[in-house]
Amino acid sequence: MASDLVNITINGTPLQVPAGEMIIESARRIGVEIPHFCYHPRLSKEAGANCRMCLVEVASPRKNPDGSVTLAKMPKPQTSCSLPAGEGMVIETETPAIIEARRGILEFLLINHPLDCPICDRGGECPLQNNTLHYGPPTTRYVEEKRHLPKAFPLSEHVVLDRERCIHCARCTRFAEDIAGDAQLGFLKRGADMEVSVRTGEQFTSLFSGNTIELCPVGALLSRSYRFRGRPWDLMTQKSICTECSNGCNIKLDHRAGRFVRVNARLNEDVNEEWTCDRGKFGMDYLSGPDRLTTPLVRRGNRFEAVGWDEAIRRVAEELGQAGRKSAFLGGIRSSNEDLFVMQRLFREVLGSSDLDHRVGPSFDAEPVIGVGQGQVARAPMSLVELEGLSLFISFGCDMAWEQPMAYLRVRKGWRRGALTIASVARHGTAEDERPSSLAPISAVRVRHDEGGELQVALRLLGEVLRQGGDGTAVPAELAAKAESAVTEQGADAEAVRRLALTLFEAGKGASDGRSVAVWIGEAARTNRQLPDILQTLSAALSAAGVHGVVQVPAMEVNEQGARDLGIAPTWLPGYEQADPAGRNSAEILAAVAQGDIAALWISGLDLATRYSDPAAAVRALESCPFLVVTDLSLTKTAQMADVVLPVTSVAERNGTYTNVEGRVQRFWKAYDPPAGVRQEWRIAAQIAARLGTEIHYASSREVLADIAARVPLYAGCGPDALGDGGVRWASALAGEVGR
Amino acid sequence: MARPMSPITESLTPIAKGLAVTLRHLVTMLRTRSKAKFTVEYPEERREQYPRTRWRHYLTRYENGLEKCIGCSLCAGACPARCIYVEAADNTDTERYSPGERYAIRYEINMLRCVFCGYCQEACPTGAIVLRKEFELADYDRSDFLYTKQMLLEPMSVLVRPKPKPSVQPEAA
Repeated sequence: MASDLVNITINGTPLQVPAGEMIIESARRIGVEIPHFCYHPRLSKEAGANCRMCLVEVASPRKNPDGSVTLAKMPKPQTSCSLPAGEGMVIETETPAIIEARRGILEFLLINHPLDCPICDRGGECPLQNNTLHYGPPTTRYVEEKRHLPKAFPLSEHVVLDRERCIHCARCTRFAEDIAGDAQLGFLKRGADMEVSVRTGEQFTSLFSGNTIELCPVGALLSRSYRFRGRPWDLMTQKSICTECSNGCNIKLDHRAGRFVRVNARLNEDVNEEWTCDRGKFGMDYLSGPDRLTTPLVRRGNRFEAVGWDEAIRRVAEELGQAGRKSAFLGGIRSSNEDLFVMQRLFREVLGSSDLDHRVGPSFDAEPVIGVGQGQVARAPMSLVELEGLSLFISFGCDMAWEQPMAYLRVRKGWRRGALTIASVARHGTAEDERPSSLAPISAVRVRHDEGGELQVALRLLGEVLRQGGDGTAVPAELAAKAESAVTEQGADAEAVRRLALTLFEAGKGASDGRSVAVWIGEAARTNRQLPDILQTLSAALSAAGVHGVVQVPAMEVNEQGARDLGIAPTWLPGYEQADPAGRNSAEILAAVAQGDIAALWISGLDLATRYSDPAAAVRALESCPFLVVTDLSLTKTAQMADVVLPVTSVAERNGTYTNVEGRVQRFWKAYDPPAGVRQEWRIAAQIAARLGTEIHYASSREVLADIAARVPLYAGCGPDALGDGGVRWASALAGEVGR
Repeated sequence: MARPMSPITESLTPIAKGLAVTLRHLVTMLRTRSKAKFTVEYPEERREQYPRTRWRHYLTRYENGLEKCIGCSLCAGACPARCIYVEAADNTDTERYSPGERYAIRYEINMLRCVFCGYCQEACPTGAIVLRKEFELADYDRSDFLYTKQMLLEPMSVLVRPKPKPSVQPEAA
């Protein structure tokens, strides 16, 4: 709004900025770079202004006693990161006094800095190094002894601290407090002895500790896995997507000589902003792991024999061709959209089977999103940005910081703004209550139940909602009676559930008919297959009473959402169109395998033998499977039971797209060549189809994506030309929103 | 238009011209009785090289035997031919190669690519990599031109005090 703007002048350039904006930000608007260390746009400004690097000279208009206005220069330079813009301010950033002051500050910061840049992992991408080069003194006058402390002090299994190098900017401590919310880092002692520290005897166990490494403007906080692995000028960088959870953080994948080296965050305001979580930042080493498969394997008796691709594909094609309709596909939650689309074409069009399922283990058959309203947009998963603006977020057995790290940060951000209330439902002794990074401490309502008590809590909640004015017309009588009896039952959580119901109505009251309440069902609550039905009823009852919300079973694996969207499911086709005839789900497929009703099973990127909710049953079924194909990066327990193992490319070795938890189709790019003898999954599927006499012809993964966009209305706005670097949410594309 | 020369004249004229030059020099030499010689009998005889001649690289050591190289890769960054590859690792108290935290576990120079500019020597913060005067670098196999750390590292025998003193170095910056 115009009334909020003030006129200021920076280095002679007049400009209008919002009143109260920090001068360092205003300067950036016109491309004036003010050197700084402690300032960061996403961290709180209150504890800032301690590096003193961003000094500027300021003059403000002052009214004289006679009514005239003159410019009064402040006697001393000011820190521009803590100086709010006011009407008529005149700022100079390059005067001789400022240049001298910066040089003095840098000399001061370097007094205790060891200047061991050649062996420092930060050397080459270090703000202190860069600023010293541009603004600092060329030599040192300091001849006294520097501060000496043990090098490479391990804060946790991921982070080391070099206290000699620290310049006490407090970026890491502010991040831990403001963004991650665990507040594990703090300052100890004063003056030159000051040091960043975790509490005595504690480890830096935050799930977001890796971000402090990127935030640190010197080489004080460093990664243990990247330690001495390369210098910045040795590394090549490629834009990629993190594969460790469904949030789809945009990352920069650094590699050297054809090997993965490290992960840094890539800015995407709609997804991860500029953060990563430790699961992703330190969990991608498998890309260059020693156990990568580099050649197809075929079982001969009790041993695997390495064979060429021709033979492997001939064998798989023969067996699948014979099995025909009696073939099934499981997994695919780590494959790209292109892989999945071609794979489902192979099974549905070529083999005529509908037995595909991506949901294994703790995942229900219910629809992934139980929303209000009609149409696909209403059924779209919630966007991460949307989470910030909610009025109530209910985590139902969802260990948010671990399962959905970026969604956790968004919810926390909303809570910090003050408009978002958090409620958490979990079983007693959940990891959430123990860990520092968790929603539990900031939840207004906390319901804790015993093992398997999710259903009871949901029923009780339904009963309370009905009692307190929820619309029960759509609730089946039997369920209503159950809910009523659940409310009257005694239980430790009765009071908490009552408050949760009150909070629900409270949250709905202020909101318009937008989506103001979200319930996310986490892994722990997914074993109960009745839960979504009850929550759906609850959602309908609340909706009729004016409280609108979304009950969501968020995707957990990197492309689980893509597998949903592209119909790796028995009852729906790509784009959630009804499958006719419907196939069998994962549990039924495994049962059919055990009964000999399925002749060939294909498992993709999934260690079913350890990940299935009942591993022993999975192992039994797989052992009795007549023909098992596994596509994976390494020889997992499941792969060891296979008849044919086909090695596939990793995310760093090909182009493709993943769909993240909010339905955002995001691209990743090939960083380096795959090992010889490894192929892309969709090409394998296409080659098998060709052997069986059906041409599924694509020249590149780009062509596959273009075909997906052409054939699946859901992905119509997500073609290869539309995606760009930051991806497109299919729901936003359908709704005609641009750029989200 | 010139008349074409006869084949005999055509071949004899240049020979006579060349011999005339030789004859002129011979006469000059005999007349001045000079003993000046411009060639040497390489490889039995060698010329002294200029002080700043840059040929084969060496990785040098401190007097106590520790490697000067800390694996910082600045040489690789400075190299215009991109012919240096460095991998670093941690020194431990039991296995110490250089003072401080870091040493080069791999150090390779592709001599076929090297242009002997000496930028690596200039960039080196510890004076570890130097280019010396050994110029006879010919070899039979391309792979033999990939000089490894073991080939580049100065042998212990060139040191004044040959006995290394591992693990007593302070953890200096």
